[in-house]
Amino acid sequence: MNETLEKLSTCILEGDSEAAPGLVQQALDDGVVPKTILDEGMVVGMNEVGDRFRRGDMFVPEVLMSADAMQSGLEILRPELVSSGVKLIGKVVLGTVQGDLHDIGKNLVGMMCEGAGFEVIDLGFNQKPEAFIDAVKEHQPDLVGMSALLTTTMRAMGHTIKSLEEAGLREQVKVMVGGAPVDQAFADRIGADGYGSNAVAGSDLAKRLVGAG
Amino acid sequence: MRANYQVNSGVRFQMLSDDQLEELFESVLHVLEYTGLEVHHEESLQILKDAGAWVDGKRVRLPSYMVRRALELAPRSFTIYARDGNPEHDIHIGPGRSHFGPGPTCPNFIDVETMERRPYVKSDVPLVAKVVDALPNIDFCESLGTVDDVHHDLGATYEFAGMFPNTSKPIVAWSYDKYDSEEIHKIAVAEAGGQEAFERRPNYIHYCEPLSPLVSTEDALDKLIFAANHRVPLIFTPCPIAGGTAPVTAAGIIIQAAAESWMGLTIAQTLQPGLPFFMGGVLSVMDMSNMILAYGAPELSLFMAGITELAHYVGLPLWQTGGCTDSKALDEQAAIEGSLSAYFSALTGGDLCHDVGYTESAMTGSVFQLAMMDEAIGYARRITRGIEVNEDTLAVDVIHNVGPNGHYLREQHTRNHYKTEFFYPNLCDRRNYEEWEMMGKQTMSDRVVSRVQDILATHEPSPVKPETEKVIEEVLASAEKRVK
Ligand code: B12
Repeated sequence: MNETLEKLSTCILEGDSEAAPGLVQQALDDGVVPKTILDEGMVVGMNEVGDRFRRGDMFVPEVLMSADAMQSGLEILRPELVSSGVKLIGKVVLGTVQGDLHDIGKNLVGMMCEGAGFEVIDLGFNQKPEAFIDAVKEHQPDLVGMSALLTTTMRAMGHTIKSLEEAGLREQVKVMVGGAPVDQAFADRIGADGYGSNAVAGSDLAKRLVGAG
Repeated sequence: MRANYQVNSGVRFQMLSDDQLEELFESVLHVLEYTGLEVHHEESLQILKDAGAWVDGKRVRLPSYMVRRALELAPRSFTIYARDGNPEHDIHIGPGRSHFGPGPTCPNFIDVETMERRPYVKSDVPLVAKVVDALPNIDFCESLGTVDDVHHDLGATYEFAGMFPNTSKPIVAWSYDKYDSEEIHKIAVAEAGGQEAFERRPNYIHYCEPLSPLVSTEDALDKLIFAANHRVPLIFTPCPIAGGTAPVTAAGIIIQAAAESWMGLTIAQTLQPGLPFFMGGVLSVMDMSNMILAYGAPELSLFMAGITELAHYVGLPLWQTGGCTDSKALDEQAAIEGSLSAYFSALTGGDLCHDVGYTESAMTGSVFQLAMMDEAIGYARRITRGIEVNEDTLAVDVIHNVGPNGHYLREQHTRNHYKTEFFYPNLCDRRNYEEWEMMGKQTMSDRVVSRVQDILATHEPSPVKPETEKVIEEVLASAEKRVK
């Protein structure tokens, strides 16, 4: 493995946002192809972060530092990936549904998805189905993620999926749902494509849904 | 005659010094004056502006004199009355008095027959209220669940309608919006004998929540204004999570939570001077591995103690938290976490301690946890009652009379005091081994379960007036129409 890539993966693991862009640039200057920089440098680091977190060896703030480092590296790498015709891992439109104000869980899911390399468009909380529809039209995401913490607002996730269908947009996105009272059975019932029980499960799910897991 | 003899009646601790409390207090004023909060409510923005606040769009900053005035207006001591006039069920709020009760709105409930976790349903409400009514150390009622099998917008109304006739202990009522607040109020007022009678002897407390960090939401303020206009004692309680929606440090989360509470206080006291007001709320940490708000964390007790001291420093009562757990079962973890936080809460003299009976980080309500904590609270209350020192309790004469080699079993002094000096457990087992074996080697959880079942089979709460029963029916019927 290229020494710079190894440094890059360690830099992601250590959450060093300042060093990441420089290392990406150095790898590009070394002539490493952009996709290799992503897959064999950054993603290697981020996968290790995921493993350590699951083992209980890393905590949320450290994981988010790594996610930040991932994003700062991607700022340099993204245009190169695009111009070399590599499809980016994907775009997620994320929001807490109508009537619901709980947002810290949703924020965590967004940050973990960023850590996995996704571009995340966060709509905020208390978002009507129309807001999701408008965002899908505007941003053309691969995924729509919805969060609900109340048994009363869980229904709004179903309504939003219906609205996506009615707007003829359901086919072009995968839908994932989560939030403390949500479970797999509920996700199945409303026709979501996946359910994640926490933020890391959420980003793993996002990867799986876009065929990158 | 003793000169200026000082008496400590009961055990209470003081964690923060007056200097530290002053610093916290000034920091809250600073946050309110310099950072300000967002207020998502047109009417409140107007009320605040008229009262002297600096309003910039939704952003509201409060000059500190406004906050000081609101604090001045709010009472430290008042009474919430039992609906049936039973003085034993009245709650006297005031220095050194702590009270306990369950929490609201868990999605799940531990079924009392099967002991399995399942969604909370309407028929659970009267059952929880009955258990609350019967347990000697539980002082107020919340339902431990969100009713799942009625129209979802009517959960709070059905809940109140189910609790009110089944306990005469004061209820702390939450609601979704001003509509169900109004329905709840109708029921309470009917029993009190009209609005004026209610104002003299309020029989329930209204609960609402701001949004951390630093937002007062539309629904929360609709409810606050309803309560203030109808002079319903009010709890305004944030639920910040250290490291997530609030600073990671204890001092930081406490001042943010206080700022969030005092925005509500300022609006409420402007509308209704002297309205009984509790600041909140639930302050704990974000578990940085499991990403939950931890209800069993030691920091919860510590943060709650800090905010209680701040509340009392400024002369407000506090909505405390304890008796809760992150455990999923009625097990050792549940006992440790619940008992320690209940005990700690009692030590702070925090005024209303809620969430007793919460398990699984507020996801599942359990009357078994509640009943187990009733015992822990009794234990804590015996300790916090402290040691009484006077001529009689010093017992110098009794010691002299009994002398060496005697015993105290037959002493009048023993007969006079053994009932009040000692705590008698309802659940903790002190039998000897043989008797314990003979009684079927029951564990704590076995005894908790039979106590709950016994209460459910035998306890009869005092009924509401027949007129109130009719009003409850009418309120439910019109509520059903409202959501049609
Ligand atoms: C903090 C809190 C609040 C705060 C929210 C502040 C904020 N900025 O978010 C405030 C005080 C505003 C609040 C208000 C209310 N709350 Co609240 N709240 C909570 C509490 C205690 C913690 C939530 C939390 O932040 N957890 C930590 C985060 C990190 O976890 P999380 O949100 O579950 O997210 C994780 C996973 O679920 C998952 N996830 C989340 N979203 C998504 C999305 C996707 C796509 C995926 C894959 C995964 C995923 O990943 C996240 C990270 O691991 C919960 C109890 C609980 N155990 O959940 C109650 C709780 C959710 N609230 C409850 C209630 C009832 C209310 C109120 C109605 C109370 C009232 N009467 O006013 C209001 C409703 C306001 C509204 N309209 O939304 C109930 C819900 C009961 C029910 N039957 O539905 C709960 C369970 C507590 C209880 N027992 O009362 N609440």
